[in-house]
Formats: sequence, C-alpha cells, structure tokens
Amino acid sequence: MSLEVLVFIIFNGLLYGMFLFMLSSGLTLIFGMMGILNFAHASFFMIGAYLGYQISENINFWIALIFAPMLVGIMGAMIEKYGLRNIHKYGHIAELLFTFGLFYIIEEMVQLIWGKTPVPYKVPEILNFPLIEISGMSYPAYSMFRLVISLLIFLAIYRVLAKTKTGLIIKASLTNPNMVAALGHNVPRVFSNVFGFGCALAGLAGVLAGNVIGTEPSMALLLGPIVFVVVVTGGLGSIKGALVASIIIGLIQTLTISMEYDLNSLINYLGFQIDINSTINHFTSLTLSQLSPIVPYILLIIVLIARPRGLFGKRDV
Amino acid sequence: MGKEMFNSIKLKFISLFILILFLLFLPYIFSSSFALTLFCKMGVLIIFSVAYNMLLGQTGLLSFGHAIYFGLAGYASIHILAAINNSYLPSLPLVLLPFVGAIVGLILGVSIGYLSTKRLGTAFAMISLGFCELITALTLIFVVFFNGEDGIQADRVTGNDLFGLTYGPQSEVYYLILFWCIITVLIMYLLTKTPFGRMCNAVRDNQQRAEFIGYNVRKIRWIAFSLSATFAGAAGSLHAINYEHIGFESVSLVQSGMVLFMAYIGGIGNFLGPILGAISLTYLDTMLSDVTEAWVLYYGVIFVLVIAFAPQGISGIILMHSPILRNNPALLKKLITPYSIFLVSILLLTIGFTSIVELIHSIKSNHETLKFFWLSFNNKNILIWLALGLIMTSGVIASRKSFGLVKEKWNEVMEEIKLSLIK
Amino acid sequence: MKKIIFTLISFGCLIIFYACEKKETKGPIKIAAIEPLSGPYAAVGKDIIEGIIYSADVINQNGGVNGRMIEIIPMDNAMKAEKTTELLRKAIDDGIRFVTQGGGSSHALNIIKQLEKYNSRNPGKEILYLNNSAVTTSFTNKDCTFFHFRFDSNVDMKVAGLVSHMSKDNSVKKVYLFNQNYVYGQTFRETATRMINNKAPDIKIVGDELIQPFGKIQDFTPYVTKIKLSGADSVLTGNWGPDAFRFVNALKDAGVKVKLFGIYISQPAGMAAMEKNLLFNDVIVVKEFNPTNSKAPNWYKEYEAGHLDAVGYTPDADRFRFMLEMFKNAIEQTNSFEPLDIAYALEGMEGRSIDGGKVIMRKDDHQIHFDMQALLLVDKTDQSIIYRNQDFDMSYSNVGNIPVKDITLDTSCNMKRPK
Repeated sequence: MSLEVLVFIIFNGLLYGMFLFMLSSGLTLIFGMMGILNFAHASFFMIGAYLGYQISENINFWIALIFAPMLVGIMGAMIEKYGLRNIHKYGHIAELLFTFGLFYIIEEMVQLIWGKTPVPYKVPEILNFPLIEISGMSYPAYSMFRLVISLLIFLAIYRVLAKTKTGLIIKASLTNPNMVAALGHNVPRVFSNVFGFGCALAGLAGVLAGNVIGTEPSMALLLGPIVFVVVVTGGLGSIKGALVASIIIGLIQTLTISMEYDLNSLINYLGFQIDINSTINHFTSLTLSQLSPIVPYILLIIVLIARPRGLFGKRDV
Repeated sequence: MGKEMFNSIKLKFISLFILILFLLFLPYIFSSSFALTLFCKMGVLIIFSVAYNMLLGQTGLLSFGHAIYFGLAGYASIHILAAINNSYLPSLPLVLLPFVGAIVGLILGVSIGYLSTKRLGTAFAMISLGFCELITALTLIFVVFFNGEDGIQADRVTGNDLFGLTYGPQSEVYYLILFWCIITVLIMYLLTKTPFGRMCNAVRDNQQRAEFIGYNVRKIRWIAFSLSATFAGAAGSLHAINYEHIGFESVSLVQSGMVLFMAYIGGIGNFLGPILGAISLTYLDTMLSDVTEAWVLYYGVIFVLVIAFAPQGISGIILMHSPILRNNPALLKKLITPYSIFLVSILLLTIGFTSIVELIHSIKSNHETLKFFWLSFNNKNILIWLALGLIMTSGVIASRKSFGLVKEKWNEVMEEIKLSLIK
Repeated sequence: MKKIIFTLISFGCLIIFYACEKKETKGPIKIAAIEPLSGPYAAVGKDIIEGIIYSADVINQNGGVNGRMIEIIPMDNAMKAEKTTELLRKAIDDGIRFVTQGGGSSHALNIIKQLEKYNSRNPGKEILYLNNSAVTTSFTNKDCTFFHFRFDSNVDMKVAGLVSHMSKDNSVKKVYLFNQNYVYGQTFRETATRMINNKAPDIKIVGDELIQPFGKIQDFTPYVTKIKLSGADSVLTGNWGPDAFRFVNALKDAGVKVKLFGIYISQPAGMAAMEKNLLFNDVIVVKEFNPTNSKAPNWYKEYEAGHLDAVGYTPDADRFRFMLEMFKNAIEQTNSFEPLDIAYALEGMEGRSIDGGKVIMRKDDHQIHFDMQALLLVDKTDQSIIYRNQDFDMSYSNVGNIPVKDITLDTSCNMKRPK
C-alpha cells in the first residue's frame, strides 16, 4: 500500500467518522443518559435538513444554521414533555415503540409538506470551492467547515458535561433524580432540556449534511441503525466514546473499501485453485471492499459480547 | 371451588371448540382469494408473534432481530420447494415443510442465542439489532443462496400431498396454516404452564432471586430464545408456502419491528395479546394502504396513541373489565354511555383529521377534487378547510372531555366493586 | 356537549352542501398499477403512476378505446414483494384483467410467477401483465411467459447500447465499472464486462466496484478516491436514486473529471439533489427517446405540453405513452377486450416513436425493441429543457443514435402459447 493511499484512507476515514459523530452525538446524550432508545433520532436529523433547506431558501444558510437546530430542539423538547414523559412509566419498550411511531409520522409529514422527491438544498456558495488538494483529489471548503463544527460540538459537550455545574446537575438527575429534586432542581425540565438538546444536535447535523447527502424523505430510514452502533460501541453516555467509535468505524470502513483482496487470492497464495464457475467461487470471490457495509455491525456484536459497557462506558449497556 | 374450576375449564373448551369450528368454515364465508391470503397472513403472523412473545413477554428479552429466524427458515423452505420442483429432491408432503423451518430456526436460535443470551436488557437488544443488519446485508451480497433483491420463487404444487391436497387453491393453504397455527399456538400455550415457563417468568421478574434459588438463568434465557426461534422458523416456512416467494424484506429490521409492534399493541402481558395484535395489525396494514396514500401517517398516529393511552395493549383493555364481569356484571351497563360518547368524539376527531390530511395530499398531487368517503370536495374552497378544522378541533376537545368522563365513571365502578368485596 | 352538537350540525351542513358528485361510469377498462406509493421508494412509484395516468387520460380524451375509457387503479405495494402478491390477488378478485408494474424487479418476478400459475389454472380468465419498467433480463429469457409484455429495454440491451456508444467514443480508454451489489447491479456488471471484452476490446476495465445498494452509503469519497487512483477516464454505472446522485456530487466535490455513462443518472427523482453538479462531468445516458428533441412530431409536442400541465413537468420516459397506445391499438385491431386476444395482437405490433425509428414488440420473447438515444447532459439551450417547470435548466444533446440492431440480442425464451 502506497503512502498516497494511506493518506487518503486516513483523511476520508476521518471525514466520514466525524460525520457519524455529528449524527450520533445527540443520541449519546439521549440514549446514553436517559436510556431512551430513540429510533426517531434520524428523523430529527431529517427535519433539520428540511428546515435548513427551507430557511436557507428563504433567508440564508447562516440563519438556517442557527435557527433550524433550535426549532428542532424545541420540537424535541415538546415531544418529550407531552409525549415521552407520560410514557416513561411504562418502561423502555413503550418509549422505543413511541419513537418508532414518531418515525413514521415524521416521515409522512415531511412528504406531505415537501413532497416525495429530493429538494434542491445547496451548499452555500461561499464555501463551495476546493480548499485542499491531495494528488488530484480536492476537498471542498464545506467539508472542512463541517469537520470544524463537529469538533466544536465535541469540545462544547465535553466541557459542559465535565466542567460545569449544569453538567453536574444533568448527570446527577440521571443517576439519582429524587435526590436532585429534593435539592430544589426541576428534574423533568432537565430531562426535557437534555432531550431537546440531543434533538437539536441531530438537527444541526441535518442542516450540515442535508446538502451533501441529499435531502429526501428516506434519508432517516437508512441512518437509523448505524447511529445506534456508534453510541453503543462508544459506551453509553460517553461523548468521548462516541467520538472514538465514530472515527474507528470511519477508518475501518474506508480501509476495507480500498482493499480488493478476496479469499481467492489467499487460496491462490497457498497454492490452490478455485474453479471460477463453481458455487463456492461466489463466496470466495467476495472482496473485502464488498463486505465493508457489514463491518460496523460485526464491530457492534464483538464489542457487546466482549465488553458490554462499550469502549468508554462507565456502566454496562 | 373445584366445581367452579371444572366449569371454567369446560367453558374454555367449549369456546375453543366453537372458535375452531368457525375458523374451519371461514373460507366458505369469505371465499375471495384476497380474503384468504389475508387470513393466511394472519395465521402465519399469529405464530410468529406468539413465538416472539415467548421471548419478550415471558422471558423479558427485547429482540430486534427475530425476523432472522423467520426469514432464513423461509429461505431454507423455499429452496427445498424449488429443489422438489426441479426434482433434485424426492417429493415431501408440504405439511411437513414447517418442520424443516423449525429445525433451521432451532439451529440458528441455538447458535446466535449462545452468543447473545450472555447479555440481557439493552445489550441483548443491540446485539440482536447488529445480527439483523448483518444478515440483511448478507442476503444482498450472497446471491447464490438468497438471489438478492429478487428473492426466490417456487411452486408449492408439488404433486399430490396427504389426503389428496394439491395446495393449488388458496383455501387448501388456509387449512394447512390453520392446522399449524392451532398446533404451535397450543404447544406454546402449554409451555407457559410448565415449570420451564414459570422459570422464564421468574428470570424476567427478578433475575437475582431466580439465580439464588439455583437456576442457571443464562441457560433458561438460551432455551427460551432457541424455542422462540424454532417457532418463528415454522412461521417463516408457512410464510414461504403462502406467498411461494421469499425476499430479503422478510429478514430485515422492518419485519422484526413489525412483530414487536404486533406483540406490544396486542399486549405482551397476556398470552392472547400477540394473537390479537397480529390480527388487528395485519388487517390495518392491508386495509389502510388500500384506502389512502397517506396510510403510513395514520399507522404511526394509531401506534403512538395506543402506546400513550393503552400501554397494556388491546388484550390489556379487555382484561381490565374482567373484575367487573366476575363480581358484578350489571355494573358494565354504567359504562355504556361514557364509552359511546367517547367513541363518537373519537370518530369526529378521526373524520376531521383524516380529511384534512387527505386534502393536503390532494393539493400535493395536483388534484383539485377529492373523493372522501362518499363526498367530493374541492380543495380550493376555503370553507371546506374551515369546516374541517372546526370538526377536528371540536373532536379534540370532545375526546379529551369524554376521556375524563370515562375515567370518572370507571373509577366509580371500581369503587363500587371494592366496596362490595369488602362487604 | 354543546360543542359536539354544534359540530354534528356543521357536518350535517357539509353533507347537504357538497352532496356526492357521482361520476358516470360506462364500464371502463381497468388497469391495476401496482407501484410503491409510500415509504422510501414513493418517488419512483409516483413518477410512474403519474406518467401512466396521464397517458391514459390522453387516450380517454380522444374517445377512449372502442368506446370504453381506460381507468388506471393505483395500488400501493410500499416496495414489499409480499404486498405486491396480495394486491395482485385483490386485483384479480375485483375482476381486473390488466396489471401494470415497473418499480422493482422482485415485484415483477412475483407477478410473472403468480400469473403464470393463475393463467394456467384459470383458462378464460387470464390476466395480462404490462411491464412498464422492470428490467431484469431473465423476464424475456428463461422466465418468459406469454402474458408478460415488457415495454422497456432490459439490462442487457441497455448495456449493449452503452457499450456500443462507448466503442465509438475515442476518448474512452480506461473504464471503471461502478454498480450496486444486488441482482440488477450484478447483472449490469457481468454484461458490461462481457460486452466490453467482446465488442470493444481496446477499452480496458481498470476497476470494478460493487457497492451496498439503496442509499445505505452516505459518503462516496472513498470510492471516488479509488476511481481517481485507478486512472480511469470514464465510469460505467447502473446506479439509480441516492446511489447515483451522491456519487455524482462526490465526484464534483473531489474535482475528479471522468466521463459518466449510465442509464438512470438523470432521473427526475434525483435531479434536485444534483442540479449543476451534473454538468461538472460529461454525463451520458441512454434512453428510449430524446426528451428534448426539437424535431419531434407535432402530436408529441401536444402530448408533452399536456404532460407539463397535468403532472408538472415534461416527461422523462416515453414508454408509458407507447405502452398504452399499443394496448389501445391491440384492442381496436381485435375488437376484443379479452387479454388472450390482446396478447396475440400485441405480438409484433409497432408503435410510434418520436425520434424517427420504430418501436416493435418482438414476438419471440415479448420484449420491446427500439432505437436508443445516447444523450449528453448540457446546460440550458434555446431548445427545450428537461423536466420543464422544475427549474433544472438543463438540456440533452443527442450524441448518437444507437440503431436497434446494435441492441438486438438473442433470447433463450421458449414460450408456450395458449390456444
């Protein structure tokens, strides 16, 4: 493997990993701290993308970048307050199914408002130029911008949770709500805020990614499971874990994509031959690159079986 | 006491007998092939969701990957059918094919269960999610076995089966599925009555105590998991026979989510719950998509409402009334009025909500007029919007008020029953 | 309570004012159109259904077929193969004798197999299947049946068209195959490899990628890097939907210049997500017609204008039009509404084409044949614009007519014809 390829793998992997992190950072808060298996997380991501499109169409992208996540956050907090909070007493499965139902509703609502085909959500002109060039491949300024924003998100959350009083109250209300309430804090409101903030992060990811991956009604469906992989592998509630897990997944997936090795080459190396027309050739001729989509799930299963608390989690999943 | 119990068992047997008799004559009442396909689908999904509830309701394990056993058993069965079609295999009576599915389910359940039942709770759920996505991705990659997105086709008419059945007509498949449905559901019911079934409940309710008494809780989870997968496999096999086709959707997360919904909406706390859930959701799924394009929205709204207001599921609501029925059935009369007011206001709400959604839909699809029930609306007419908005808001207000009324009356009735019991 | 009564009254008023406007129905010819109308593939189904309904409306406005109207009955299969089976059975129960479907090969195969059984078990009640877009090659080869007619070219024909065009293009030296990892993409890749080796041996295949399909991949940059490193000057792809538009966008973002050859890259459903990024690279697609043909006959221009009015943009596919026109001709020729007679009449029938060639339904395998057009996407010209009214401001430039002989392939179909 040449140095050139290695540089590309690291660079592409990092970019993809940070995209995953941006997506899942909100869920790390919601799932990791409140224990809500929020299947509608990617739906909030989608709403963010659509609102981002609508606002940047009518006003401009920068306003959208600020207000779209806020709107999504308010929506999330409302849903927590009037929906999830009442269901909390019935247990996690009820919460999960509630968010499942929410997922359907949001998908259809989006189709009702914006139609079934993708909307023309564009990268802002000011950032739409190639910034870095590595041997013929250029990376646009916009993807660097996204990289910076996701790093900022990480730093902000990390600081708030670890260093500030708000972070302490949040963590305390999750582990010992009664005690915190007795100390005079409004625990339900803390929960609403955390949920709303998580949704707002998803919305922010939507605003930033919708113009790159395409804003269309099915974008939520396809992102659902991968977000859970990141959160669980990283360790529940650990923002550091989510970052590391995202980058690991990004790197491994990019690495496997660039590998054209299959079992046949190993078998040939060992001095055997496989008939090209035989059934077994279908299996042995699969390249690592073709198998790259299943990598995250294998990672998830291995991590959970070997170390159920994830990479950086403090308690078991 | 003994006599009473004997009576109740006798009553159960008689009602079961009538039910089976009714099911036997069903194809004569609804003879269209669509209705029969629907019944067959219900039968298959009843087995699947009851099997799923062995895990979720009785052992307390939430799985997102139960479609694996359902789907892969279906693939195995369809391969066998296809092999019989091409005479690679000697003809096998179709009625035995679900055994093959069950064995496949068992093997998969034992092996995947070995890995995943090491954990419980969320970790278990996430492992099952991982397996589900893994297998779904593989179905598209391993073309030789799964034939990718196209799935596999086979002909279920393999020559004369037992009793001269050919399984060409849908009604014969109906009886095959009915037969298997009754047998498997009965077995699963009896399993809940065995010491093993009780142990499952103990593991679900309090793992530490169960362990303390001396049970190996992991082994119990593993066995429950494998058994559940076995029955899911049988269901998958019947699914393949019913459609003569199996595709990657049957293995996917969507199918796993579907069965979770069925069990939960029906009520996981009761053996009958998943059965009710399977019947009602299958009906809803088929009927709604036939009537309107926005059916997924209604589907979602119904889910959210059921989960928010009836978390015990359909069977839970029905069973809520059993104390009244047992002690003082006359009190049920008191509930009729609030219930009917509540139903009417819900109806109002439904009419308002659905017609507004349909109106928006009609605007989106460039149609000016909209046929709704037996009426034709023009979506450019502002009065229509106002009127429907009015109907919907009044529906919301009315259903909130009447829900309060229902609650009030319900509490009154409950008080009376408590008083009578004390006396 | 007052409010309830009030609303009841207001609803009553509604009923009085807007009483049922019953449409008169003179027993229309019903065609069930089973397509995904909800869920992630709704956009695909919507385009097909709208196109077909409009084509039927045009026929109806001109007096229908032998005095009867054509009624398209949309049915939503939500892209679940089993639902397709259910809906087909329902259509049969409702006495519908004609079915059309196109979105998703697994669904098409389901219908073919179901109808094969049904039609042989119920002589005299046959159902005719008009396949509008399902392109798996085997449907007109080993899986062919008498009651299936395909009005779209199959994968092999499309690839043959692309390769035939590529072989004439001198700038194509090194090609990269980029396809989706499921039956359609795999067939595309195999056929492309075979045909390039046979027909254009001087083109070198420098890469061959199968990716996870259906929009599961968000980031195409690693693939673009691979293409860049392989030194390819062109990419041959069968991708559609998000897998196509994300790829086009990623190529643009990375500034990688290649020639893109494909089939479904410029579908209306994905246009909004790419817009001008499509023009960064030369994108060449093969189609059954040139939607921006300025020399199109007048009747087509009228048809196009009506489509713009009714659907909101100008058509992207011509096959729905000639499918229903040929269906109509078959009924008028035989003077019968029986699927069996219509099927016999459709065999070998010719339809109208807007680019001058012929549209012929081959008798041997019920596969449509026509001249294909190789079209290059260009910036807006004074001629017509694709999907007018949608503000994409792009046009096709015809870069080659692929004569029907170049895409006529042998068939292994051995059809049993009923009496």
